[in-house]
Amino acid sequence: MTVDTLPYTTFYKAKKGIWSWLFTLDHKRIALLYLYAIISFFLVGASLGILMRLELLNPGKDIIEPHTYNQIFTLHGVIMIFLFIIPSIPAIFGNFFLPLMLGTDDVAFPKLNLLSFYLYVIGALFALATLVFGDGPADTGWTFYAPYSVKTGTNVTMSVLAAFILGFSSILTGLNFIVTIHRLRTPGMSFNKMPLFVWSLYATSWIQLLATPVIGITLLMIVAERVFGIGLFDPSIGGDPILYQHLFWIYSHPAVYIMALPAMGVVSEIIPTFAQRTIFGYKAIAYSSMAIAFIGYFVWGHHMFTSGMSGPAAIIFSILTFLVAIPTSIKVFNWLATLYKGSISIETPLLFALAFIFNFLIGGLTGLVNGALAADIHVHDTYFVVGHFHYVMFGGTGFAFFGALHYWFPKIWGRMYNKKVANTAFTLFLIGFNTLYFPMLILGIMGMPRRYYDYLPEFTFWNQISTFGSWITVSSIILMLANLIIAGRKGKRTTDNPWNGITLEWQTKSPPPVENFTKMPELPEGGPYNYPNAKKA
Amino acid sequence: MSDENTVHITSYKEHISTWAALMLLTFMTVAVSVFGAELRTLSVATAMIIATVKATAVGYYFMHIKYDPKLYKWMMGTVLALFVFFMIMLTIDYLTR
Repeated sequence: MTVDTLPYTTFYKAKKGIWSWLFTLDHKRIALLYLYAIISFFLVGASLGILMRLELLNPGKDIIEPHTYNQIFTLHGVIMIFLFIIPSIPAIFGNFFLPLMLGTDDVAFPKLNLLSFYLYVIGALFALATLVFGDGPADTGWTFYAPYSVKTGTNVTMSVLAAFILGFSSILTGLNFIVTIHRLRTPGMSFNKMPLFVWSLYATSWIQLLATPVIGITLLMIVAERVFGIGLFDPSIGGDPILYQHLFWIYSHPAVYIMALPAMGVVSEIIPTFAQRTIFGYKAIAYSSMAIAFIGYFVWGHHMFTSGMSGPAAIIFSILTFLVAIPTSIKVFNWLATLYKGSISIETPLLFALAFIFNFLIGGLTGLVNGALAADIHVHDTYFVVGHFHYVMFGGTGFAFFGALHYWFPKIWGRMYNKKVANTAFTLFLIGFNTLYFPMLILGIMGMPRRYYDYLPEFTFWNQISTFGSWITVSSIILMLANLIIAGRKGKRTTDNPWNGITLEWQTKSPPPVENFTKMPELPEGGPYNYPNAKKA
Repeated sequence: MSDENTVHITSYKEHISTWAALMLLTFMTVAVSVFGAELRTLSVATAMIIATVKATAVGYYFMHIKYDPKLYKWMMGTVLALFVFFMIMLTIDYLTR
């Protein structure tokens, strides 16, 4: 039997029963397992965020005690960083679409892929178990800064072990993707003919592989310090707390790019598809992903300007930080240039991509304020940083994640969602998001410190606006997810290629068959974004 | 395909020589830490340099990087360069704090 005559059975129907899902080696099923798990943890993290905003509605106590507040913002951070943003796009859409975009039938190591998923689940269980074991979740913040993390009586050990296990999941996924990209590209697909989402996953995977082991060891050092009192970070027994910050941020700054780069890859897919136009500056976008991944290693010290690090080191890190802005802005300029003279169709995924650019621009520019040594001394550890971070992570990666969900939804489920409801949810989401986080930038400049349970009366107005924004945001997310869930079950059947995309995943059936393609996919002539009906400028 | 599936049989002599060199370097590390403790920063730097040479020897001979395409050598070199940068920045911070 040749590949042309293979019968078509979707990957949903190929095997039945719970065990066929729990022990599947199919990258598409593993991607969906990740999807359901990650969305669940996102909802838990979002609920904790809503609780925090409710507490901050008025000065003084509203609904929770100060100690509980400290634990909630720590757990919110751990869940959102390690269980949602880091794995979200690579583990779900990377797993599902990397082999499809490369024109192959699976990732290089399917069993390792399943192991990565179970490591993720075990790590997640460790994080959630801190709620019921010992003295409750850690109250250190997601950064676990020493020496407090060494001395606090809360369940730091279990929290850092959760992050340690999740790190292994991340490393194995990165390794799997690198080998898949090097070895399993369809014949004729050179590196410079790969889709830009694949490029972004490639850059991300290298960061996962090289940076994550550092945080693994560092977190084990925290456990060793707590159990044996070695004197690594605790100054009272000869340790250096700034060394902990160095080691932590050597991973955690590149980790910001683990979160952001796949999002940029998603935007690079959505924009040419909905502009029906060849992407402007393909190589510039592709290589800027690698440049961001590379330069991202050299800037960790900008998180430590006020920590007591030396002046010369701070100056060097500040200069290096500004270099990261260059490849990032190369991408933004190229996306905008792609839209120019395109046949633009305003669909929900494109709206999310445009919102990504808007939010990421605010997040990026406020990042430059933090990166400037003198300005950072004023805004460090204020709500300005919280606002900046959420603009980059939630406004950037979060919007790209939901954009990707709407973009590839018809391919994954073979059905289309209600576009009017999707656009309404998007509009509410954008308004709610900016109402929630822009006041934080103002509060930070006014001088409100981050992680504080209580605040002065002059901060009340903007805190209340922010909390009001959180209600709009959560309503929009509920509406969006309800629309997608209903569409997944009862949505109108759609064609295999409803957006007229030309990357290889659009050449197969929706939903795809187990082996991904019923016939050999054909590479588009002239590169992955050479749209045949594009207007000639 | 080029030499991707080629089996490389290396001699016992090469294996044993590499092992002996690694053992010698290990003794050197211990000796520097014991007898050169008063050198402080210099003794740490010496230990790091020796460790780098050992890691390179393991990668090159035992892990067969010497047979791999240039790309993999570049990858290994990049990783090493990142680590060196990390150590340089840490040292700058400590010496100028």
